[in-house]
Amino acid sequence: MTRVALVPGCLALLPEYASLDDPVEELRSACLAAVAWLNEDVRVVAGAQGARVASALLAEVGAAPTSSAEAAYLIVGNGSARRSEKAPGHLDPRAAGFDELLARSLAKPDADALGALDRGLAAELWADVDPIVESADLLRGVDTVAIDYDADPYGVRYWVARWAQRA
Amino acid sequence: MLSLGRHDFGDGEALMMAIVNRTPDSFFDKGATWAEDAAFERVRLVASQGAEIVDIGGIKAAPGVEIGAAEEKARVVDFVARVREEFPALVISVDTWRAEVGDAVCAAGADLINDAWGGADPELVDVAAAHGAAIVCTHTGGVTPRTRPYRIEYDDVFRDAIDSTLGYAQRALDAGVAKESIVIDPAHDFGKNTFHSLEITRRLGEMVETGWPVLVSLSNKDFVGETLDQPVGERLLGTLAATSVCALAGARIYRVHQVPETRQTVDMVWTIAGRRRPTRAIRGLQ
Repeated sequence: MTRVALVPGCLALLPEYASLDDPVEELRSACLAAVAWLNEDVRVVAGAQGARVASALLAEVGAAPTSSAEAAYLIVGNGSARRSEKAPGHLDPRAAGFDELLARSLAKPDADALGALDRGLAAELWADVDPIVESADLLRGVDTVAIDYDADPYGVRYWVARWAQRA
Repeated sequence: MLSLGRHDFGDGEALMMAIVNRTPDSFFDKGATWAEDAAFERVRLVASQGAEIVDIGGIKAAPGVEIGAAEEKARVVDFVARVREEFPALVISVDTWRAEVGDAVCAAGADLINDAWGGADPELVDVAAAHGAAIVCTHTGGVTPRTRPYRIEYDDVFRDAIDSTLGYAQRALDAGVAKESIVIDPAHDFGKNTFHSLEITRRLGEMVETGWPVLVSLSNKDFVGETLDQPVGERLLGTLAATSVCALAGARIYRVHQVPETRQTVDMVWTIAGRRRPTRAIRGLQ
């Protein structure tokens, strides 16, 4: 059975950036649980930084990225980093609407909507969605198992989501 | 590992040793904790501020009224027992050079003998060994306890400090004190003028390289006051600057009046040095 998970490319998840008090404790535990749930060879769909996050999470649960065609998929992407005045990219009023569309499309999941996301707008909103757009087809014929995490604790919208192939 | 009596610490930890004076005349607090209850309140405060060690002293370091062993014991022994009972997690150090006092305080629950006077009483190491206590081996240039330095010069003050503290550490080892329970202290201002203390500070890294854990006692001392022309009470900034230099060099124990200020300073430097993680870093990493 194909399993697919989404985690954000939050660099605070990397061991080299660990603090004494984990600022992303809840996010990290959701990510680790989702990655552990993939439970087999995992193919990573991510940009360069996202791939590092994926590798770190996989290593944490004792797995490693693979190129096997039979693998589960781990997508690394997130919503806008311009969601508030304190956000990394300051406030862009378009961020909320963009993220809501993305949230709905992930929850459903709506592969057509995800594949048609406006990548130009996403770039302006500092949203890392290319891996999501590129893997939209993976989300045809799957059901959402859970949206394990959905929040923007530091001005960036994160989701941890799990999907599994329809029985 | 650093083993201070009942308490063990990892090699990466920097420890705060808070000064608790059971004296009517110490230079910084001027007798503020002379009364037993006031001294106990001080222990309570520094424990709440996160100090790992309290250093209880019954005699001020500077010259003054002669205090015999009986009077010194009367000031500290029962107090140690009370602190031991109410604060089992605290390391209890007692600042004394007398073996007789060291024996009594260890029996009452002290973990560490802080001999600020460089082994003036040769039996102190035997007392530490007999009780399984730790000991601080200081450098004083061989002066008599409770005397001020007067025209003391060294060919090389740093070499003298290294040779003397390592010699003392060896005596402690020979007496049976555990290796992980021996700490060395260059003892700023003890048998030293300001230039000597500044050189000791500048070269502290060489002392750390000996492998023995290093204690520094810088707090509000005269070398800070003379360097900046500041009276007692106005020396915190200078103390913290000197603390930073010693922390970067890797000093392990900081004997201090002001615990939170020193803790923040040492944590900051310790983190810059890569020995500690930031408490909570998220900026730019979201």
